[in-house]
Amino acid sequence: MAPLVPSQEELQRRRIIGINAETVTNIPSTDFPGHWPGESHGWALDQFKQNFNVEYHRNDRYEASFSLIGLDAAVANAFRRILMNEIPTLAIETVYVHDNTSVIQDEVLAQRLGLIPLTGSVEGINWMRWEQKIPGDDAPEVELTDFNTVVGQLSIECTQNFDAAKDETDARKLYHNAHVYAKHLSFGPVGRQSEFFVDDGAIRPVHPDILIAKLRPGQRIEMELHCVKGIGADHAKFSPVATASYRLLPDINILSPIIGEDAKKFAKCFPKGVIGLEPVTSQEAAKAGSGYQGHAGELKAVVKDAFNDTVSRECLRHEEFNGKVKLGRVRDHFIFNVESTGQFESDTLFLESVKVLKLKCARWKRGLSDLMA
Amino acid sequence: MPGSVHSQDPQDQSMVDAVDQSQEEELVLDERRILVLPGSSETAASFQFEGEGHTMGNALRYAIMKNPAVEFCGYTIPHPSDAKMHLRIQTIETTTALEALEKGFSDLMDLCDVVTEKFTASRDQFNEENNNKMQS
Amino acid sequence: MSREAYQVPSMGTQNAFSTDAGYGSAMAVDKSSVAYLCGECSARVTLKSGDQIRCKDCGHRVLYKERTKRMVQFEAR
Repeated sequence: MAPLVPSQEELQRRRIIGINAETVTNIPSTDFPGHWPGESHGWALDQFKQNFNVEYHRNDRYEASFSLIGLDAAVANAFRRILMNEIPTLAIETVYVHDNTSVIQDEVLAQRLGLIPLTGSVEGINWMRWEQKIPGDDAPEVELTDFNTVVGQLSIECTQNFDAAKDETDARKLYHNAHVYAKHLSFGPVGRQSEFFVDDGAIRPVHPDILIAKLRPGQRIEMELHCVKGIGADHAKFSPVATASYRLLPDINILSPIIGEDAKKFAKCFPKGVIGLEPVTSQEAAKAGSGYQGHAGELKAVVKDAFNDTVSRECLRHEEFNGKVKLGRVRDHFIFNVESTGQFESDTLFLESVKVLKLKCARWKRGLSDLMA
Repeated sequence: MPGSVHSQDPQDQSMVDAVDQSQEEELVLDERRILVLPGSSETAASFQFEGEGHTMGNALRYAIMKNPAVEFCGYTIPHPSDAKMHLRIQTIETTTALEALEKGFSDLMDLCDVVTEKFTASRDQFNEENNNKMQS
Repeated sequence: MSREAYQVPSMGTQNAFSTDAGYGSAMAVDKSSVAYLCGECSARVTLKSGDQIRCKDCGHRVLYKERTKRMVQFEAR
């Protein structure tokens, strides 16, 4: 028996998640085999390939915005979670304090240093290996090699500036090195790292003007920093994204005509550009039962650009629009926004995330085949 | 979440924790192991994944549910403090739970390939259009 | 605290994560001549055991010990 093909309207109805004044309806995805009698919803790669689409909206170096259309929420969420938690990044992990006479406590300084985003040659960062924790008796010993550790230094002392004006109050002019910024961190290549982390590819903080500590004359900070690779799931400092989020494409459906003053008020309920006002044409006015009779020439509300809507449901608060508009979101259209902290570029980050999901599956699948044998 | 995490109720076969020694099949694969939980049969099995959570759990569940031979598929995380994920698959007679799991992995990997391909193409096209716009 | 002779402190009392560090202890002259900082004028004052506890410059009687020369290790978390 040939599978039933549902009508376009039915498909469209299934695609929209209803957003009402107080409730959200039609939430779970139903495209599983057995849910709709007679229809076939089994996995078909070619069908997925045909329906899946990617639309790019913005591709700045460290911020990318794109749409994935035709994907299921479970997979889109997996990509988002991996972007935040499972892409390996480099960050300061261990701080060896030789001297710290500043007012900032050692551990506070160490925590601040850990959170500074670093950047460098992407090739080098990918070449680096993970810290191999050799299980010891008490504390697991870690072998630090040029493969897995990048070494940095923070060495700074504050001294009096004898050339400052008599009545100077600004600490930065009164003293040398009163403010310790991220630009005072220096990273030198060790061993084979000289192949990658040199010149442009050298490891350096993404933002050189992050304030780390403030000093006064006589205070010194002398620390050695070790950076390793880690993932966001372990500690947030290893997350390569400032944040990665997605939203579903909003859907505004005007059921019956909204004309004249009502139309202007309707347009005000949405962000600028979402609702446009167009004059009612004489043909529409002539059509019997369309609700436009006698309103030729007046302005009617038309959905121009649902993409920029923030779905505040403001229009549902007003009585005059009761029953005239239906709000919703398109279930399988994900508008991603990926902001990188600067270590990797945003588009490479998404590709990395897809790669990580594939690698996970591959690794578990390999384990399976041994289980079966 | 099914009942109490600590219940050792013998009638509750579905998500019994892998503390029992009977009928355990485990595999150590560079520190990652899949455990088949006790009480599983050819067509109805529960698997325990260590080190996984909602990220792979939900995506895998979706992929396995798309298989018409799968009668039931669900995943749960018994306790949020432990990084363990349980996945239960029940199939009809034409296939086994293990086969359904393997197919789920393959389908998910194919999906990733398609996403990568289309994403790269769209990104390159966008960059080209933008470069042309900037030059003109 | 008893008034017995000075006892060398045991290892590992520094912080949660002070590891080996060991040989970085105050390498002063072997008459345990230790440097202190005056509470008022912040001058560096060196005292030997048995010396009067008083700042050489301003005569203030509260002296603070300098930060240890030992290396301390922290996890940046």
